[in-house]
Amino acid sequence: MTLTKTVDQATILSGDRSKLKDLLCNRLAECGWRDEVRLMCRNIIKEKGNNIKVEQLIADVTPRARASVPDAVKKELLMKIKAILAAQEGIDL
Amino acid sequence: MGETGCKHFQAYVKEQSLDTFRIIDAYFSACVNKDAREKKALSCCCFECGSYGLQVYACLHCIYFGCRGAHIATHLRAKKHSIALELSHGTLYCNSCRDFIYDTRCREIAGVNRRLEAKDLSKSLSWQPWIPTPKETNLLLANPRRRRIRANETIGLRGLINLGSTCFMNCIVQALIHTPLLSDYFLSERHECNAKSSLKCLVCEVSRLFQEFYSGSRSPLSLHRLLHLIWNHAKHLAGYEQQDAHEFFIATLDVLHRHCIKAKTEVESANKLNNATSSSGSGTGGGSGSGGHNTNTNTNVNSNCPTQCNCIIDQIFTGMLQSDVVCQECKGVSTTIDPFWDISLDLGETAHGGSTPKTLIDCLERYTRAEHLGEYGKIKCSTCKSYQESTKQFSLRTLPSVASFHLKRFEHVSTLIGKKVSTFISFPVELDMTPFMSEKNNAYGDFRYSLYAVVNHVGTIDSGHYIAYVRHHKDTWVKCDDHIITTATLKQVLDSEGYLLFYHKNILEYE
Repeated sequence: MTLTKTVDQATILSGDRSKLKDLLCNRLAECGWRDEVRLMCRNIIKEKGNNIKVEQLIADVTPRARASVPDAVKKELLMKIKAILAAQEGIDL
Repeated sequence: MGETGCKHFQAYVKEQSLDTFRIIDAYFSACVNKDAREKKALSCCCFECGSYGLQVYACLHCIYFGCRGAHIATHLRAKKHSIALELSHGTLYCNSCRDFIYDTRCREIAGVNRRLEAKDLSKSLSWQPWIPTPKETNLLLANPRRRRIRANETIGLRGLINLGSTCFMNCIVQALIHTPLLSDYFLSERHECNAKSSLKCLVCEVSRLFQEFYSGSRSPLSLHRLLHLIWNHAKHLAGYEQQDAHEFFIATLDVLHRHCIKAKTEVESANKLNNATSSSGSGTGGGSGSGGHNTNTNTNVNSNCPTQCNCIIDQIFTGMLQSDVVCQECKGVSTTIDPFWDISLDLGETAHGGSTPKTLIDCLERYTRAEHLGEYGKIKCSTCKSYQESTKQFSLRTLPSVASFHLKRFEHVSTLIGKKVSTFISFPVELDMTPFMSEKNNAYGDFRYSLYAVVNHVGTIDSGHYIAYVRHHKDTWVKCDDHIITTATLKQVLDSEGYLLFYHKNILEYE
């Protein structure tokens, strides 16, 4: 079993995955990222008309949205994940 | 976009019902219990690449999980299945429409599952968009006029007339009116009270005050009714002399809290009474008597200490203080947890000659420092069953949404002689309470607070005056000096001789 898979399973099992997801959502809303991405989507829809498919929209927005996630948010999440994994037994990092 | 999904989804529901959706959502999207998490951890990965991926979709026609994009799309196309569930957010997807779809019934089921999940993991519910109820929709349609609040808007600001040494009350009222959570509660008229006692009910009076503050009128208000109600319910404050603003604040919370319980038990006992009379059809006279009696016992039980009764006052102002007494002999710890409404902080020199605090953080560090109880303060240790020297340490178990700090500027040597400590204590605009928590390693807690009101006392202990600074909008501060309201700078606020400091939690948790 690969390390990623072990980590995935461990975090899902403990419920940490769901809590981390909430934390990330809160942070992204807090720092304005959510509104920014919403605006990006609106602009793309305005530009390309109403017939754009959701896959196309996602493909257009994802690279820019990913790039605009603040470093502080990434760093905080990374620290949290490290702390959670370090506290769990049976996983060697 | 409709709220009943698309025609493909409707056909799917007709054939398969919502049971598959209900189970898949409960097990793989929301994970309502440990069993669900186990199942998800073991089996919920992409059938194509084995990844737990960013976004995994579950086919609602057969047993299949696939990553966003090619993996799930290939499956749906090949098998001619159309409906799938995106698991990280629980959104329905229709491959025939190639779009996400929304269905009211599914949304309700998903809501129930999310609540179960939050309860099972004892976490706060994640943010959900506001969906107006039919009643709210009708209200919005019936009142099409919208009011836009601009940065320089003065709505919500009103001066308060001094009724003769009542500046202590005016300041506290200004601070309470500018408490965001309280104004949300009162402006949405959530207080239910039976009409008979509303003239005597302090909560109704505060509710009316909020309406007055936001009526758009700019003339100063007179708080004589509020004062009269407080005099009636907190006898120690009755009289014409200047009172301590902190004492008034605590008394006001206490009376509000008691009235909330009373209103609630009255509504409940009235309901019970109605049910009883409709079912048995007897004993109306005796019923009302016993209802009144019940109310009295309840208020007595809850009168002097804030308890978690879930009234609006407790929801906003009650936190839990943990006190650990450590026996120096056996190192056994005995922990007690008590509710609090505010934290009173000492300003003078410590008993052991430590330096006097200069900042709010100094005060809090001192408050939460382990204190040696000394030779004369021996306490019976519950572990080693003997009287031993011990240390006592406070920490904050849970924090309220509004954290209020009382800087003890008034020292009472005796009942007649007192002195005022006018030392400048600096306090921050943004305050992180994490260092003072009982469980510092809680990975998910967010304990950041922002300053929103400061009550100051100017002058001496015998003749002084209270003024309040309140945050009107973000970055806009106003000074409330009885009936005079003027704008203030943040620097003015922070340079002032704070007496009561009010901080609001930045991130609120949903229940």
